[in-house]
Amino acid sequence: MVITPEMRSRIEAAMEKYPQKRGALLPALHIVHEAVGHVTPETARELATLFDLRPPDVMEVVHFYNMFYDRPQGRHHVYVCTNLPCSLRGARSLVRALEAHLGIEAGETTKDGRITLGHEECLGACAYAPMMRVDDEYHEDLDVEEAKRILDGLE
Amino acid sequence: MPQITVDGEVIEVAAGRTILQALDDAGLLMNGVDVPHYCWHPKLTIDGSCRLCQVEVEGIPKLQIACNTPVKDGMVVHTKTDRVKRAREGVMELLLINHPLDCPICDQAGECKLQDYAYEYGVTHARTKEPRRAAKKRVDLGPTIVFDQERCILCRRCVRFCREIPQTGELAVFHRGDRSVIETFPGAELDNPYSMNVADICPVGALTTKDFRFKIRVWFLNDVPGVCTGCANGCNVHLGVATNKVYRYLPRRNDAVNDTWICDAGRMTYKEIGAESRLQRAYVRGPGGLQESGYKAALEHAASRLRALLDAKGPGVIAALASPHATNEDLLQLRRFLDAAGVQNAGVAVPIGPADELLIKAEKAANATGARALGFADAAGVVDRIRGGGVEALIALGHDVLDPAYLGGEAALAGLDTVIVLDTHRSELERVAHVLLPVRVAAEKHGTLTNHAGRVQRVRPAVEPAFEAYADGEVLAKLGARLGLAGFDGKWDVRAVSRALGRECPAFVGVDVESVGDEGRSLATVVAGATTGASV
Amino acid sequence: MGLKVPYVTSYLTEHFADDALGTIEGYEAKGGYAAARKVLRESTPESVIETMKASGLQGRGGAGFVTGLKWSFMPKGTEKPKYFCVNADESEPGSFKDRLLLERAPHKMLEGILIGAFAIGAEKTFIYIRGEYAYPAKQVQRAIDEAYAKGYLGRNVFGTGFSHDVVLHRGAGAYICGEETGLLESLEGRKGQPRKKPPFPAEYGAFGMPTTVNNVETFCHVPHILANGPDWFRGFGTEKSPGTTIFGVSGHVARPGLYELPLGTRLDEIIFEHAGGVPGGRKVKGVIPGGMSMPILPAGQLDVPMANEFLRERKTMLGTGGVMVMDETTCMVRASSIISYFFRDESCGQCTQCREGTGWIHKIVSRIERGSGSVDDLDLLLDICGKMEGQTICAFADAAAWPIQGMLRHFREDFELHLKHQKCPFPESFEL
Repeated sequence: MVITPEMRSRIEAAMEKYPQKRGALLPALHIVHEAVGHVTPETARELATLFDLRPPDVMEVVHFYNMFYDRPQGRHHVYVCTNLPCSLRGARSLVRALEAHLGIEAGETTKDGRITLGHEECLGACAYAPMMRVDDEYHEDLDVEEAKRILDGLE
Repeated sequence: MPQITVDGEVIEVAAGRTILQALDDAGLLMNGVDVPHYCWHPKLTIDGSCRLCQVEVEGIPKLQIACNTPVKDGMVVHTKTDRVKRAREGVMELLLINHPLDCPICDQAGECKLQDYAYEYGVTHARTKEPRRAAKKRVDLGPTIVFDQERCILCRRCVRFCREIPQTGELAVFHRGDRSVIETFPGAELDNPYSMNVADICPVGALTTKDFRFKIRVWFLNDVPGVCTGCANGCNVHLGVATNKVYRYLPRRNDAVNDTWICDAGRMTYKEIGAESRLQRAYVRGPGGLQESGYKAALEHAASRLRALLDAKGPGVIAALASPHATNEDLLQLRRFLDAAGVQNAGVAVPIGPADELLIKAEKAANATGARALGFADAAGVVDRIRGGGVEALIALGHDVLDPAYLGGEAALAGLDTVIVLDTHRSELERVAHVLLPVRVAAEKHGTLTNHAGRVQRVRPAVEPAFEAYADGEVLAKLGARLGLAGFDGKWDVRAVSRALGRECPAFVGVDVESVGDEGRSLATVVAGATTGASV
Repeated sequence: MGLKVPYVTSYLTEHFADDALGTIEGYEAKGGYAAARKVLRESTPESVIETMKASGLQGRGGAGFVTGLKWSFMPKGTEKPKYFCVNADESEPGSFKDRLLLERAPHKMLEGILIGAFAIGAEKTFIYIRGEYAYPAKQVQRAIDEAYAKGYLGRNVFGTGFSHDVVLHRGAGAYICGEETGLLESLEGRKGQPRKKPPFPAEYGAFGMPTTVNNVETFCHVPHILANGPDWFRGFGTEKSPGTTIFGVSGHVARPGLYELPLGTRLDEIIFEHAGGVPGGRKVKGVIPGGMSMPILPAGQLDVPMANEFLRERKTMLGTGGVMVMDETTCMVRASSIISYFFRDESCGQCTQCREGTGWIHKIVSRIERGSGSVDDLDLLLDICGKMEGQTICAFADAAAWPIQGMLRHFREDFELHLKHQKCPFPESFEL
């Protein structure tokens, strides 16, 4: 079982808030990702049972959203916004610098499993570009050196 | 009833219908009024994503999709304007930019809605210079279907079908945008009793059946309307025929019987027509066992044995088994034969299997209801008399009596003086039969079959057997003549016999092979006695 | 963490420098919840809707529909539960104003929700916040908890017998969930694929029940309108577009950030007077006025008042007021490449024209950017845009087509230079 009793009771608490329990599927997927980082077919089957859905119904939701994954990710998500306002202020050069610093390309994970680096669409920080999201935190008004320092501080 | 005007013609419509449904109800869709479409299907929920069915509705500035626009009294619709034309061209061009150039190797060619609509409504030149999307080809989706993701136009009919009809929901669209693909859950298969319908509803060659793959080009096939004989539902089919061979069944729409569907098992019964196991020769048992005798000699032998027994002991020692697969006409002829010969001991053995809530019926024969309507009770009584030793001759149409629910084997027949078998396929009966006479399946003759609900539906000869075989009724006509039975002149006029159904059996008033048409017609009263069997 | 306060404030964002405004005590100290209390105790739902209609407040989520009118579409006298949804999915590139309101004034939004819920008879509000807004979501949840603790949410709000629940729901990274019916689908635990209309959300919305969806900022204006009256509100902005909005300025300006200004403020005033103009003495080349879906304006058209009735004449729209300034070094083909990639990435994939068209447009623009374009590509791009516009389930296809049309309308020369030189002719342009 991937879904622990503790996760299950949190999911069931979320279900109470919606007129149909399926409304709690996104909250449930967030809970799963917080705990184990991605959704395997086994997890999808467990969720399907919990929600009275079929496994493909769960899997198609996983595949639709950027923040849900069907394969293991690094311990830390590092996503640099490379949409237009950020690119105007050097976001793409920042990505290239971080790729070089980590020795991976955007979309990949470092060999030690520490960091997954990626591009992301507009994160709502356009005036403070370039910026990146590290897990739940925004780091704004970045320069390359500061960005590297932040990455080096991740375990 | 509300009225709408489409391209200048006024149509009466039912309230609550969409424009596309109203056209379909009126029998005009793609048959007088062209509204090409992909994602809409008359028997599935409305999708609204292909955008091909856009039409102009007076009073509304934007084009509207006909599939999701409810009709209003007085609505005026235009399907032939330049705006509509351009919209269709737009959709067609955009569908083709990523579509692989597979036509030369694609089974769908010739019945492909992308080909058809591109030709009718599309642009003539490809303007794209970009590499096409690469995706998985030849995906083994399950036991019956092959899937080509590149050909898929994402109309989602297959996804909706699996969710709504068999309600197994194996398919889903994963990812988004132009990376969208249809897949099953990792490690799962498309596997349900109706799976092959997805190949029918797929407008393109993305979903094809393994059974039909690469067999024949569809433009070589003639479509003959017929009926599936796998169970008592009598789903309407098109038989696809070329060079005297049936290559496939496709479901034929009949909203009173099977909508647009057919179960996989029924669809595959076409194989029974040309099977190696067909009874292909007439046989007579001699001292050295069964020998090929030629049809005439077999008939003579059968007649002489029956005559001998009738003279010696009378009709009381003779039993007969009607076939639940034979036509109403065949079975009327059997009724006449038995009445003329004085044989009262008769019944029909009906094989039973699992049924479901959709189309599949427990009775695995197409005309059990017809047999009952024509006075044949269940064969249990005949079986008891055989076991009890009271039967010395058996005339068996078909071999369903071998089923465990009846005799469970041919042993009980070994001691009978005379066993005459009229059958379409070989069976263990040949171990005990004295005469074997090949007869035709439904696809090889004219006639009617009565489904579980009392609907009488016609069949037509789509192919000729490659060997000598006759309809059961015709064999009985010849046998009756040789026996000197009253009213038997050896001739067989199936249409005349069909017209006689209503005269000789009140349940059949008003139905005969011509009058039922290709849609079928219901019996005045449905005959009780059908077994429901276990659900699948 | 968190956004800096606006450089220019008005009624909506005054006091935002005070961190305590995010707490219920801080909010009430500044007069918060007084309007809602008065409305729930003394007004009728009908009068609230009339007030909202009279104010002329247009939705601040990009579509600009008159809010009071939207609220009046909700069915009356139905047994079915009614719902509000707050569209806090803010994913339009160039927009970050809702984030400010969520982080610094969640109670203002809740107060607006209460007033609106009373007006339409809604029993529950779902706040749909984009998944990436983890910190703002924490602030909103804290505010919700505070409001429940004080009896401002839940059973018997302010002792009036009116009950209302608020549920915070996080998205998971999909721009299309900012589309009204895409949001509803996502709320229900499905892919965020917009629904065909009819039926409309007021008839069949969240979980099949009558629902109204409004933007975060829209809700935030509501308490001010009810507190001060529609005439006061109409004192700001233009006749057709009353009130203020929070403009978000980004790109090549000296002071990128948020500016709460009346609608109708001229675009050049926003850029040069407030945001400090283009640094380094460079000139403006083009400005996207309302978030990336809105067609670009060239440097010669910055005199336009920022309100829909004027922007429409220039073939663009206010959208979410996300002002993106691009200076003379900018290659518009590169910009178009980023824009078209975004729409290709975010298309939900249902409608043929959008799914295939966004992909095709991106492929062509990228090819031109790389130097392999040819002359017929430009008219082809416009033709594809024409085939996408106005013919799909939702307006995403329009949003994908308009920017390209705008670019070719005003910056065709950039494209032609790419074709002529078979590479980017702007060496100083931002890197791709």
